[in-house]
Order: sequence, then C-alpha cells, then structure tokens
Amino acid sequence: MSSSEDPYALMEKWLKAKEFLVVGKGVRRADALEKAMGQARFVEDFYMPGHMLFIKQVLSTEPHARILGIDASKALEVPSVEGVFTAKDIPGENQVGYALPDQPLIAEGKVRFAGELVALVAAKDFDKAIEAAEKVKIMYDPLPYVLDPLEAMERKDILVHGEVGSNIAFRTKVRKGDIEEGFSKSDVIVENEYRTHHQDHVYLETEGALALPELGDRLTVISAGQYPHLVRAIVARVVGLPESNIKVIIPYMGGGFGGKDDEGPLVAAKAALIAKLTGKPSFLMYTRDESMLMHPKREATIIKYKSGASRDGKLQAIEVKIIHDTGAYSNRGPFILWRATVHASGPYRVPHAKVDGYCIYTNKVYQGSYRGFGNPSVQFAAEAQMDSLARKLGIDPVELRLKNLLRPGDLTITGQQLNESVGVADAVAKLAKVSEWSSKIKAYSSSNGRYRRGIGIGVAWHGISTSRGVPDWSNALVKIEKDGSVSVHTGIVEMGQGSPVSSHRQIASEILGAPLDVVTVDFGTTDAPDTGATHASRGTSIGAIGVYVAAAKLRERLNKLASELLGTSPDEIEIKDGKAYLRSNPEKYISWKELIKEAYSRGVEMSATGYFFLPKGKFNDEAGQGYAYPAFSYVAMVAEVEVDTYTGKVRVLRIWPALAAGRIINPTQVEGQVEGAAVQGMGYVLMEQFVFDNKGRILNPNLTDYVVPTALDAPEIMRPVYVEDIFKYGPFGAKGVGEMALIPAPAAIANAVSNALGVQVTKLPLTPENVYFLIKEKMGKKA
Amino acid sequence: MKIPIHFILNGEEVSVEVEPNELLLNLLREKLGLTGPKYVCGIGECGACTVLLDGEPVLSCLTLAVDVDGHEVTTIEGLAKDNELTAVQKAFIEEAAVQCGYCTPGFIIMIDKLLKENPNPTEEEIREYIRGNLCRCTGYVNIVKAALKAAEELRKNTSLIKIKK
Repeated sequence: MSSSEDPYALMEKWLKAKEFLVVGKGVRRADALEKAMGQARFVEDFYMPGHMLFIKQVLSTEPHARILGIDASKALEVPSVEGVFTAKDIPGENQVGYALPDQPLIAEGKVRFAGELVALVAAKDFDKAIEAAEKVKIMYDPLPYVLDPLEAMERKDILVHGEVGSNIAFRTKVRKGDIEEGFSKSDVIVENEYRTHHQDHVYLETEGALALPELGDRLTVISAGQYPHLVRAIVARVVGLPESNIKVIIPYMGGGFGGKDDEGPLVAAKAALIAKLTGKPSFLMYTRDESMLMHPKREATIIKYKSGASRDGKLQAIEVKIIHDTGAYSNRGPFILWRATVHASGPYRVPHAKVDGYCIYTNKVYQGSYRGFGNPSVQFAAEAQMDSLARKLGIDPVELRLKNLLRPGDLTITGQQLNESVGVADAVAKLAKVSEWSSKIKAYSSSNGRYRRGIGIGVAWHGISTSRGVPDWSNALVKIEKDGSVSVHTGIVEMGQGSPVSSHRQIASEILGAPLDVVTVDFGTTDAPDTGATHASRGTSIGAIGVYVAAAKLRERLNKLASELLGTSPDEIEIKDGKAYLRSNPEKYISWKELIKEAYSRGVEMSATGYFFLPKGKFNDEAGQGYAYPAFSYVAMVAEVEVDTYTGKVRVLRIWPALAAGRIINPTQVEGQVEGAAVQGMGYVLMEQFVFDNKGRILNPNLTDYVVPTALDAPEIMRPVYVEDIFKYGPFGAKGVGEMALIPAPAAIANAVSNALGVQVTKLPLTPENVYFLIKEKMGKKA
Repeated sequence: MKIPIHFILNGEEVSVEVEPNELLLNLLREKLGLTGPKYVCGIGECGACTVLLDGEPVLSCLTLAVDVDGHEVTTIEGLAKDNELTAVQKAFIEEAAVQCGYCTPGFIIMIDKLLKENPNPTEEEIREYIRGNLCRCTGYVNIVKAALKAAEELRKNTSLIKIKK
C-alpha cells in the first residue's frame, strides 16, 4: 500500500469537501423500478415447488418441559416425506447463542418456551410436509415454569437454564460520581417505575431460506439475514463445514428492523441442515404465525428511575435499575442491556449516576434486536423523568432539556468526553421553534372537554457502532470495469432502508467522479469482504466507509494517471461529467472511458478494498466507566396528540422530527427512514401488543389480532430539522439514521398524552383501555 | 382431483389444472411464475397479494383458483403495457414510495384502481381506500404523495387529449 492510500489520510481529505455532485441530493434509489414492476426477487421467489424439499417446523406447545421422546413413525408414513429431523441429527454444533452459549437451534433435552423448535419435517410436497408435521408426536414431562421477570429474579427452584444457577442471565452497570452527594444537592427528586412491552417487527416478508447443496460439500444459501458473514458462520457451525465452503446470498428483503439479524442465521441454518442431511435443495419459509411465535421481540422492560435536580434545573443525580425480560434465551440480550445501560441518562450531563441492568430468563419467547435496540424503552423512562422534573420545578420541558443537554466537551455518564459532533442542543432549539412549542404547550394546558390536545417532546441519543469499544470495521470491494462501469461489492444488505441502492452509489460516484448511472451495487453477499452487519444504523454510517475508502484509493490512482496523460500534477485533476480535466483548463481533458482504458493498458489496478478498523477506547466493566461509542447520533421529536376522554383513544395528529446525525447523504431516503420509524414507534405506543396466556403462549400471532398502523392511523409527519454535526470517521461525516426516529417516539407520544390529561404516563402501550383507566384513576384522585 | 380452468391472465389466455382448494396466489406464484403478488399474512389483513379480477381488486390469498375460471386476472406484472409504466408506478418511483418493496405491488394495484374510480381524490379518500394495505417501512407518507401525484399526472394527460380533440 502506498502512503497516499492510507485510509485516515483519504478520509480526512474527503471530509473537507465543500461542494458535491451527488452527495446531499435526493437521488432516486436504484431498486425502485424493479420493485414498482413486481420484478424484484425476494427469498420466496427463488423457490421451485416440486423440485425442492419443503420444510415445516414442529414447535413446542409447552413453556417448560423435558422432552421424553419424539415419535415420528406416523409422520414418516405420509407420502413424499423425506424425513423428520431433530437435535440429534445435527452434524455440527447445536449452539446458536450470539452473546452467551445458551441456545440450541433445535431443542435438546428440554423446551424453554411454547413456540420453540423441536423438529423439522421435510417433504417434496408442501401439503404433505404440513400434514406430517401435525403427526409428529412429542412426549413432554412438564416442568414448573416462570413468566414474570421479577419473580424469576428471586426464584432458585425454577430455573430456565439449570446450569446457570439463577435466572439472571447477565448484569451490567455504570457508576459515575457519588449519587448520595448528587441527591443531597437536589431540590427536587422524582421516582417512578416504568413498564414497556414486547413488539413484533411485522416485516411484511417472514423469515425464509433456500439451501442448495453442491458437490464437494459446498452449500449456497439464499436467505433472510442482516449480516451475510454471520449467517454463514452460524450455518457452518450447525452443519459442521468450513465457512469457506458456504456461500450466502441475501437478496432483496421485505423488511428487517433488526429481527432478521437474529432470526436470519437461524432460518438459514435450518434450511442448510436439511440440505446437508438429504443432499437436496431445501426451502423453509415461516408462516406468519410461526414468525410471530418464534422470532425474538423488542425487549419488555421494568425500569425503576430516580432523578434529582437543583432548583436552577440542573440534573444532579440519577439512579436507575433496568430489568429486561429476555425470555427463554439471552440471544442478543446482553448487548441490548448494555446499550440501555450506557444510554440510561438520555443525552444529558449528569454528574452522579448509578445504573444497574439485569437480563432475566423467563419461559417466554425471547427478546432480540429491534430498531432502537434497548434504547426506546430507557429513553421513554428518562424523558418521562425530565417532564416530571419540569413539572415539579415549574420550568418549561424544552427549557429544562436545553439546560442539561450534552454539548461539545461534555462527559457522558460513562465518563467519555464528547469533543465533536454533538449537535443535539441546536436541534432541540430549532425543533421547538418549528413546532411552535411554547404557544402550543400554553394553549393545551387548559385543554378541556371530551377531546383534549397535548404536545410532548422526546430527546434521545444513540451510540454509533457496537457498545463498549467492541471491535468494529468496514470494508467493500470497488471495481472499475474495462468499459468504465463501476461495481461495488458489499456485505451490507438491502432490506428497504436503501443504503446500498442509494448512499453507496452516491458515495462511489462522488469520489470517483463517475456518472451515477454507471455505478452498480452487489449487496448482501459473502462474496464481498466482511462488512459487518446491517444493524445499529450502520448501513451507511459504517458500512459505507468501505466504499468511501476504496473509491478514494481508486481516485488517487486515476488522478495520478490522468495527470501523467495530461501533463500536470494529480492535484490539478478534476473528474466529473464523464471526463477528467485540468481544473485550470477544462479544455484539456480525457474522457472517463478513455482514462479507464489507459489504466488497464498501463498496469494501474482498477480494483480496491476499503478496509477500515474503527479506532476505539476501552470500557472498564468493573468500574462501570469508560469508552462507549465513537460518536452518537441525536434525535428529537415533538408529537401532538388528541385524546378522546370518553373512550381513551389517542390520535397522533402531527410529528416533528429533528436529527443531528452528521452529513445527510440522501435527504429523500433519510426522510423515508424517519417517517417509517416514527409510525412504527407510534404503532408500538398506541396499538401493538402481544397477549400471553397463563402458559406464556402468544394468543395473537396474526395480523388480525396484533394490530399495526394503517394509512388511516398514521399522523402527518413534518420535514425533519437537520443539524449536520459532522463525524470525522463517517463517510463525508455521516452518522447513523435508520433507527433514530423510533427511539424518542414512545417518549414524545407518552409525554404528549401526559400533558393532555395532566397525568404522568409510566406504562405502555397507550391502548384505549389503558388510557381510559388512566383517566378514571385521575378522576378518582380528584374525587 | 385436478380441475382444468381457463382464464385471461395479463391479457393472455391461460389453461391450467388446479386442485379444488388451490389458492389463486399459489397458482400465480408457483405454477405461473408471477411472483409480484406476495404472501404476507395469509388471512386477508395486509393486501400484499392484491390482484385485479375482472378489474376489481381481490385478495389472491383468499381467492380459490377454480373461481377465476372464465374470468380475467391482472397482476402487477400486467400493469405496464409495452414497457410503459403506469402513472402510479412512475409516481411511486419519483416520490420514493418504495422501500423494501414487499407491499408495493398491492398498493400500486389499489391506487391504480382508485384513480380509475375517482380521478381527483383527496388525501383522506386515498387513505381510506388503501386502509386494507399494510406497509411497515414508509409510514405511508410517500405512498399518499405518490397517489396524489399520479392523479395529477393522469388529469393533465386526460385534459391534453381533450384539447387535442
């Protein structure tokens, strides 16, 4: 590598760019045409019935039981059945836990929740696979079970995982200063217990995978997933093959929202297992009820939160206890809990903080990754605390926040100093203006009658990249082909968010000076270098760094070549509009196509990878202090609601979002993310809810009884306020966006309802029933 | 028991044998290779499998294949004629109403139909008409914008034709 291709130097150079060809513009996504024509291919569209095995899953009906035996004899009599497969048939390891080694792919010895996979049935005929699955008999010896996380914490006689010796799967903590001192300096103290519930992703496309065995013990798997290299690692572990024997392709996906980062590798492993065992192409597509019964949910939480502030409105101390009901398996629970723990303060300066997190096993469906990843629940609690403090102090809620919001140079509760890219206070001030906060909060405080209006604010932060300095990197392969077209190869997937089909193309085009329409992105494949996952809002913010660096390396080579051909220095070369020319004399040029031809004939390599390893600090788990993230994205939201006090029905009328997420590469796609996340958040707060029976079974695993917002429920969403607080390691200074608008939505909507009714909401969801009882309770207090 | 059926699919005659309990969605996707209509909920809650039956929107996951015998079916694949997109398809692309794309075929079919019934719908009327179609990505903002834009384009084109006459 020549020194001119040092990634840090290249990033610094391009960060200084002031004028852009395509960055910052609402460029159309490359996949829109084929999707509008119904031609885009998703996993299920590759299935060829009659030529492949169809797989059906047999799920546990018990919340906690020993498996005494499995009788497959009747199932095997069904015509076209290829086999019934259980844990004992797994040639590799039956272990798929991401954080802790506590989770089998197929239940072994015992089941830990109703909905757990016990056996797989494969048949050539779809109907026969279903018929046979119904004939598999599982003999259970029921065990006592525990559903409530508070009860589970205390019990030693009922253990979800006997070998752990307790139902506490994982603990986290943050310690800063001395909370006793902080509370003694506080003139007001508020203390509340908050509860939030599970949420299902309801991606329109359920989980699916098609595994194609090839000669020489190789496998190609077309699968759902948010990280092709992770899908491959899990498949390799389960089927017992080297990773290099397995190729994973993640085609267009009908939504992911985090859920397919957890369940994608598992559905792939199931299909791959059957393909490996039978030698036949094998296909598995979850039905909607399987998807809702099996895949991990947004964490359900209990958060005990005590905050103190001095009379001048300065936060002095917080004490927070976070309990996550992780269900039967920890899955990504420890990572989710970490994120909640280090974000517990909200984006504020808090001198004294004590935060404890508990990840608790129960005999229910397990928790997992969902847009926001542990943060929406804890920001809801933190922001309800801010409103409670504001009420007690007699300070306007926005003003109170502005007094405490983090600014450049401040320390977070983990003691990390944030020196740059902290635009949150600016964003909140601007948001208050555009939403006409001051006049509305005054007008609605005297709201009376049946329909009451309210306005509320939620402010949040979200660390970019993995928590606590865990290694993270980006990469991509960028090639300029002989004809001048450009191909980008990345592991980032396309699940609707649009980073490969929009921002990746823009970044490659911008840096190379190549016309946008010659840039094609090959996404979601293990053929690309390991790019990390498409989660944690990192698709563009970190995923595209690889594209940025690789393209910058190629640009250096092109500038050098063009300068030699045109007889000038590399710095004098401009490349755009299909040609490379002298900045001082645009008449002196060589066309883009000619330039690339010259590169090939003169031995200049026209492919480059863009590996970048994010520099990070360390977190000290013992001390509960240290480095948490390379940067934070900030988001704020104002929500205006109307509450029908007769029925308890809440309508969100309008939402104003604000983002301090660094450079906005594509405002159109960013708005799409903000709008979608805001409505997903609204659904979570107002209507989405699982109902569990007394055995912890989900009673509403379908879209009739689990209700998500329609076009009639969605509010008006205003154009976002952007504060472009540039982050030095983001492509052109970008930070993450995808999750952001969901994170403050529970806080903003709940605070608006609180303000409309003159109560403090502490429990979600705000279904008509729950709001009705809130109103009744308040009236009872008055009487 | 196989039942032979004959119908018009996207303008062409089709003859095929189906099971009495076979769903139109499965027939289209698995035997006829039209994967535009999507299976999402299987119970008529989401609209992703919507196709036109004699010009009327139906949920192909709740329609038996035998029932289309002698009728005309149009799927998303049949909307664009001679590679010319419909105004709704164009507006979906221009207004960024497409994200993951799984719900897109159903929405486009519905809005196409809406604009045939009502060339000048209000935003409220659009939202009312598409209330049976679920989207989890867009928050519906750009879908509604696309419908308004397509309506405007179609009205412009019709008035142009009128002027020419």
